Amino acid sequence: MKRLAAVVTLLGLATATAACSGGSTNTSGSGGGGGGGLFTTIDVTRPGLDASGPANPWAPKGNSFQGYNAMKLGWVKNHLTDPNQFYPGIAASWEIAPDNSSITIHLQPNGKWSDGKPVTAEDVRTSIGLAYTTGSTAFAITPGAAGAAAEVQIVDDKTVKVTQDMTNPSMKFARGVMDSWVVPAHVWGTLLPAGFWDTIKTSRGEGADAEKAREEILALGQKVLAFAPPKDVSAGPFVLERVNPGEALLLKNKNFYNAANVAPDQVKFLNYSGNEQIWNYLSAGKLDHSGFVAAPADVMNRIKQAPGSNTIKGFSPVAVGMAFNQSKKPYDNVHVRRGLAYLIDRDQVTKVASPEGGTPAITTSGIHQKPAQEWIGSELSALEPYKHDVAKAEAEFKEAGLQKKDGKWALADGSPWKVTMTAPNGFSDWISAQENIKSQLVENGVDAEVVTVADYPVYLEEIAAGKYDVGFWLMALGPAPYDIYQRLYGVSNGWSNVAGKVTHNAPGKAGNWMGGAEEIDVEGVGKVNPGELTAKLNSASAEEAKPIMAQLARTANQDLPAIQLWDYVNTQFTNTARFTGWPEQDSDLLRLTAGVWIQLGMIKAKQ
Amino acid sequence: MSVLLESSSTSAAMRRNFWAGVWRVMKRKPSRMVGVVLMAGFVFMGAFGPMFYPDPLPRDPNLITRPPSWQHWLGTDDQGRDVIALVVTGSRYVLLAALVTAVITVVVGAGIGLFAGFKRGRWDSVLMRLTDMKLTIPGLPLLLVLSTVWKFGSAVQMGLVLGLLSWGGVARAVRSQTLSLRERGFIEAARGLGLSTTHIVGKELLPSMAPYIAMNMLIAITGGVYAQVGLFFLGVLPYESNNWGQMLNTAVFRSGALTVPSALGYLLGPLLAILLLTLAIVLVVDAMDEIFNPRLREE
Repeated sequence: MKRLAAVVTLLGLATATAACSGGSTNTSGSGGGGGGGLFTTIDVTRPGLDASGPANPWAPKGNSFQGYNAMKLGWVKNHLTDPNQFYPGIAASWEIAPDNSSITIHLQPNGKWSDGKPVTAEDVRTSIGLAYTTGSTAFAITPGAAGAAAEVQIVDDKTVKVTQDMTNPSMKFARGVMDSWVVPAHVWGTLLPAGFWDTIKTSRGEGADAEKAREEILALGQKVLAFAPPKDVSAGPFVLERVNPGEALLLKNKNFYNAANVAPDQVKFLNYSGNEQIWNYLSAGKLDHSGFVAAPADVMNRIKQAPGSNTIKGFSPVAVGMAFNQSKKPYDNVHVRRGLAYLIDRDQVTKVASPEGGTPAITTSGIHQKPAQEWIGSELSALEPYKHDVAKAEAEFKEAGLQKKDGKWALADGSPWKVTMTAPNGFSDWISAQENIKSQLVENGVDAEVVTVADYPVYLEEIAAGKYDVGFWLMALGPAPYDIYQRLYGVSNGWSNVAGKVTHNAPGKAGNWMGGAEEIDVEGVGKVNPGELTAKLNSASAEEAKPIMAQLARTANQDLPAIQLWDYVNTQFTNTARFTGWPEQDSDLLRLTAGVWIQLGMIKAKQ
Repeated sequence: MSVLLESSSTSAAMRRNFWAGVWRVMKRKPSRMVGVVLMAGFVFMGAFGPMFYPDPLPRDPNLITRPPSWQHWLGTDDQGRDVIALVVTGSRYVLLAALVTAVITVVVGAGIGLFAGFKRGRWDSVLMRLTDMKLTIPGLPLLLVLSTVWKFGSAVQMGLVLGLLSWGGVARAVRSQTLSLRERGFIEAARGLGLSTTHIVGKELLPSMAPYIAMNMLIAITGGVYAQVGLFFLGVLPYESNNWGQMLNTAVFRSGALTVPSALGYLLGPLLAILLLTLAIVLVVDAMDEIFNPRLREE
């Protein structure tokens, strides 16, 4: 075994020394103004480079890399509670109206495209037009969508003002605007036909004309997704040079507004098709940066042993829950759900499934444990923690009328009960967790099985169609309060929110697969309609949101539409052998790419 | 058991001494004995192995993906279960599916081959064109497509699909063999005696080809194992039961067996099982070859 480890290590070293082929090697140049040589990374959001993919940020298989050669107006900070905090991107500064009704954006005064042309307000307007065709939060053409823009106004060459449609306002309006791609109008402008902005205006109305206008805009979207610029014109720190199936090479953009502080001269994106390849790159010390990738403990230790290896951990506003389809028996009975919550040892599940990438949930509140304190304060300790307790689980099952025969739990009518959990293939931590839960349940007399489906899109489609009894569900999607609770009390549980009007759909209709009750009697709160409460969060200020969040936390805790299993931790992998200046632990930059860190001038070549 | 003879007469003496002959062939190469013992071991493992382990298997969440040790000879999996226990309990699905695959391959292949070869003419043309078409269908891509619509819930279902995809080669070979045999004297004589086609095919042709078919069946078992293990390894099938392919998939994609040595035992478990099963079959087929083909005997 030792010998094998030595061979593996030697091989690792061999590949690490060969890793710099194809780009220039690092020269110990000055930190500022480049000279940093080659920066190697991967795009964790997209497995598999497509050599023929266009430099198009909207194309699913495009070669536009966020923060490198693809720019947004601003870069969203990973803040615990405020969704509207950004780092500068194409925009140098911005003012958000106190009532959230508009945002005025001032572009970088020295912003230039890689072909030397200045970045102007017209570029931003054109890009917003393109965003309308592809569908985006602030630029949605669905009538009555929350937080949609009403008007885009060019104030001057470097200033744009975007106004919110206040009939159905959203706290996240500014985020929706700032989180938009910006592309050069002189390359992309031809995609928008004359009269496009009139079509947008028409589409906001009612009736046949508006419907036709919406169809026209959506048809344009297909063109936008497929558009291939003849050459990459970037306003980011890098510009695409070439792509082959093994790697994409980007060169420094000399015209970038902050080029003097961009350390690397070249960036190389390595191709990968699965996590195990990323593990190998990392344990060979090949990558200067990689975003979060799930890894078993031993692999993690091996990665940490690579020369220069460094991990940065921070807040990831996501939790995973075990969600129930309450249209299926016995999950319609709250005592069954509570019994399962007591029966499952979440510490053990997290230890087996996500030892590095998660923290066991302290309770089911619907909120990630880190911001929970800020949102609901002392209320958090008043919630039932559902600590692992077999006796309590049995009591809940009995309360639900389940029968125990020969050490096995059966339904009230004596028919067998099997907890069938479904997970998408490739989600290794989810499958591991479900396997562990299955073992825990079977050991305590509850029959269980794990079924996998082909991939995540199929999983989402089938779970929405109500095909599963139990499935894993991402919840607590912060930082915006509405986003956090709409995962539990939104469309998937029957509440649709159109044009600010909340309606409840029957289980099995309009995407309602959770099938929970429309009104819940919550101890200490009284009767609540959680969907309506959640909708209120859309336009509530942070202070207004807190009492609503507390009520919803109590509701989620007692009603258990899902059992919160673990709260994710964001782990970023960096390498200090060639570059320094990485973000600190818990930095609010951790959910942005290294391209953003580079363009902000943080990353320096090692002296 | 009957004998395949190159000459047109059957030797009664050989029939009497059949088992003695088998024993002699086995003794000549000890490896053949090893093959038979291994084969018997796998049959026993598939049939009774899971009975020796509790269901669910014992697990230790503090021993996740550990390398081999005295306690766990091939280490543990990502749930803290013993790898050997997993190999044994996972063998039933794999072996049963492979057996069903082999039976279907041989029954369909031999049936079509015999019929086409004996009937000749139009029947032969139609059946052989059908076989040619079947042979041109690429197996694995078709399985990948099928796996999106069919869940292969049980080992029998799995075997059924694999069997229906792999009879082409056997059908062609059996047909050739039949064409050659039907021109022999003993078949001529049987026809001259006015015996029915069923009798000729069932009692005269089939016994002559039985050993050949039996060998094909054994080889089809390995094909069946490779195909299903490959599908599970690629992760295109929903897994509901523990089996070797699933173990390989988990070892590589979940436990990092290609990155860290600690998961190597987990990867080696199913690999060794597949290797030994293939070895057993090859050795037994080698022995069968000599038993049924007197020319190979050094007597």
